Amino acid sequence: MVDFRSILKAEVCMNGTRRRRTAWRALLVGTLGFFVVVCAFADSPSATAVLSNSEAAVGETVQLQIRVTGARSADAPEKIAVDGLQIYRTGTSQHFEMNNFNVTSSVIYDYTILPMKAGTFKIPPQTIRLGSNAVHTPELTLNVADSPGRSSSSRSNRGQAQPESANQLVFAELVVPKKVAFVGEMVPAEIRLGFDPRAHPELADGPEIAGQGFTTQKLQQAQQNLETINGRTYDVITFKTAIAATRAGRFEIGPVKAKARVSVPRRQATQRSRSRPFDLFNLDDPFSDPFFADPFGRMAERREVEMESESATFDVKPLPPNAPPNFSGAVGNFAMTTEAKPKRVQVGDPITVTSTVSGRGNFDRVNAPALEDDQGWHEYPSSSKFKQDDEVGISGAKTFETVISPNEKKQALPPFGFSYFDPVKEKYVTLRSDAMPISVEGGAAPAVVASQPGAATPATAAASAKPSPKPQDILYQLTERPKVAQSFTPLYAQPLFWTAQFIPLFALLGLVSWKATQARRENREAQRVAALQHEAAELMRKLRRDDSSPQEYFSQASRAVRVKTALARNVDPNTVDAETAAAAFQLDEDSRERLRRLFERSDELSYSGAHNGAGGISAENRREVLELIENLRP
Amino acid sequence: MKPMPACFGKLVPGFAKRSFYSVIICAFLISSAFAQSDATFANANQEYAQGRFQEAIDGYDQLVRSGQWSANLFYDLGNAYFRTGDFGHAILNYERALTLDRHHPEADANLRIVRDEARALELTSTLAERYLKFGNLNQFTVAAAIALWVATFCIGALIFARRRSGAVIALSIVSLSIFAGAVFAIHELDNGSHGRALAIVTGMNVQARVATADNANSVLVLPPGSEIRLLSNRGDWIYAALPNSLRGWVPAKSAEAVRL
Repeated sequence: MVDFRSILKAEVCMNGTRRRRTAWRALLVGTLGFFVVVCAFADSPSATAVLSNSEAAVGETVQLQIRVTGARSADAPEKIAVDGLQIYRTGTSQHFEMNNFNVTSSVIYDYTILPMKAGTFKIPPQTIRLGSNAVHTPELTLNVADSPGRSSSSRSNRGQAQPESANQLVFAELVVPKKVAFVGEMVPAEIRLGFDPRAHPELADGPEIAGQGFTTQKLQQAQQNLETINGRTYDVITFKTAIAATRAGRFEIGPVKAKARVSVPRRQATQRSRSRPFDLFNLDDPFSDPFFADPFGRMAERREVEMESESATFDVKPLPPNAPPNFSGAVGNFAMTTEAKPKRVQVGDPITVTSTVSGRGNFDRVNAPALEDDQGWHEYPSSSKFKQDDEVGISGAKTFETVISPNEKKQALPPFGFSYFDPVKEKYVTLRSDAMPISVEGGAAPAVVASQPGAATPATAAASAKPSPKPQDILYQLTERPKVAQSFTPLYAQPLFWTAQFIPLFALLGLVSWKATQARRENREAQRVAALQHEAAELMRKLRRDDSSPQEYFSQASRAVRVKTALARNVDPNTVDAETAAAAFQLDEDSRERLRRLFERSDELSYSGAHNGAGGISAENRREVLELIENLRP
Repeated sequence: MKPMPACFGKLVPGFAKRSFYSVIICAFLISSAFAQSDATFANANQEYAQGRFQEAIDGYDQLVRSGQWSANLFYDLGNAYFRTGDFGHAILNYERALTLDRHHPEADANLRIVRDEARALELTSTLAERYLKFGNLNQFTVAAAIALWVATFCIGALIFARRRSGAVIALSIVSLSIFAGAVFAIHELDNGSHGRALAIVTGMNVQARVATADNANSVLVLPPGSEIRLLSNRGDWIYAALPNSLRGWVPAKSAEAVRL
């Protein structure tokens, strides 16, 4: 018989497997498609062209960079023909970038432009061939001035004391964006040190900002990147700091001074510069020297060069008069939060108030917010910690922990105040916390009247304590001393304590041994009773049987009576006679007589020598004896 | 019966004689030492009365070093330190006096005065510690020992008794409960804020810091005489529980444990 249910089940299973396979295929195809699309987009080539400077002077080189994105190789011209400009290709480099699994390759062609005459020049679009495709660069304009005197003010000091070849390798620059500030106001400043990377530069000393009348934050190296300045590529290190003037007036900040060690061509090599094959334009560029093509050559020397920037001027205004009483010199823009714990204390208990002053400014002058009304409070010195948000420490949060203790009952913590000068609003600002509700319980600590020091009066201080005005004095000396020295060791750690535990231990052991002996004794008695009970039962069983001789029968019967009596009276069965048994069971006269006869008969048969006797015992006799013994109950 | 050696009769009287003399000599030495320490104590008191507080401190310190500790000795030493303006050591010695004698009224009164003067911070007692103040460590130890033995005897009686008495069962349960409570109290008092790890800041301008370095951020300024609880040691620094449930590193030389 065909099982349709199993066929159906198998079909369902196959369908399920098929569906899963289809889903996997779809996922695979989708993923591949996504990557193909991504790669297709990533690889669609484009070309850009930029000039390092659109303004130049005759004889001053400018760098042109053509970047072809989405290609690993391209065919770019070696020379670009423009009337009045000499443009030669000086280098090629390839870059790969990966961003969100998107790999981009680009080829960069560097050209050096030497203007031969003044004027405005158009560098025409260049065609870059990429296999069968071609991309075009945009048209660029270069303005060439007549005189070659233009130079950056920030780098004007290059070349004063150094040989020309060394000074072209480094520069220093001080950037102070704000020229007017208030006393104490933190003004961010930047120091930029540029090095020609081909000179294997090494910062030897500094940088330092020269000048007086201001303080600077510790210099922090913020970043390092490559920049092209006037056609020359520099490795620029930027240091950040902040400057705060300590008095009003006009200041000269700087110059920034630093020392660096660089590799420069030897002097004799410089003399041959005209014949350098790499100096295309006879610019006396030290890096056109063959040394840089062969760095392992012996044509270079390490030289220490001094770097010096121009100084900056800075106008400092004084702070306005009538500063708030708790103003400590903080200048900036701040916010304050305050919290206190615990909220429920006794008089004299400490309360920790945590105040956080956050914002931007001179945090070294930010002091702890103070109680505006300290009546009934004692304030302890605060501790503080500062968490800065920037490199130079002019932005962040300063947290103060101040312990205060109430001297009397209080319902609320008075406001804490913090004042600062806002240089934007040009006025003093006072921040106040809200009054925090707390509960201070208990009265003031009891004051104690003291006697004069050294007075050996009896120790009744607590009883005679009376309130007295401050300052309180301590109580007198005590001249008595106990005969036995006291110990800080707790009782449980003293050997004497543990030795003393032997007393109850021995008592316990004695009790246990006594109880055990008693139990053992009681156990022996129980065993004896059990043996007697067992014997009595055995004797009764034998008496009920009709197979014993008269001597045995009466002997067993008398023994049964003795055993029962022993059980009833707790005596030795061998000491029991007829009278004892009769008394034990309080028998009547008839039973007593029968019991007496039973014992006599037993003795008679035992001692007469009539062993087993002639004849047996009648059934009537047996029944009587059995009845007598069974009726023996206490 | 094993016969005694012939020399035993001679040895016993000799041994007894030597023991007797030893006891006599020991008693004499102890009494003379105590008499000497009494004289030192009296001299120190006299120095104090004459206003020579540093000499008085030296005298009291000599007794402390010799182990002749008493609550009055530490109290007097605390007074002498107070007179010299050393509030940290004054509070330390009052605390020691109160550790030896919890109900020392003079030490208690003077401690309050010096704390007010020094603005010393105190550790907050836990709830259990506040409720267990009715007894001290030794009292709870005795209570625990008695309760344990009563419970043990009751359990022994229950084991051997033919009939289990309800009263004995109840007594053993109550005794065991008292024992457990006393052990808990001992643990709380010994390890609590005023237990064996209690120390007093004796240095001036002491700051608890977040790390074992003098330039580390400050956690709390500790006036002299402030209470701290020693948690661990690391070289010249101690990690301590501070007032207001704070914790920090304190220079080891600026705090002393109360219990010697």
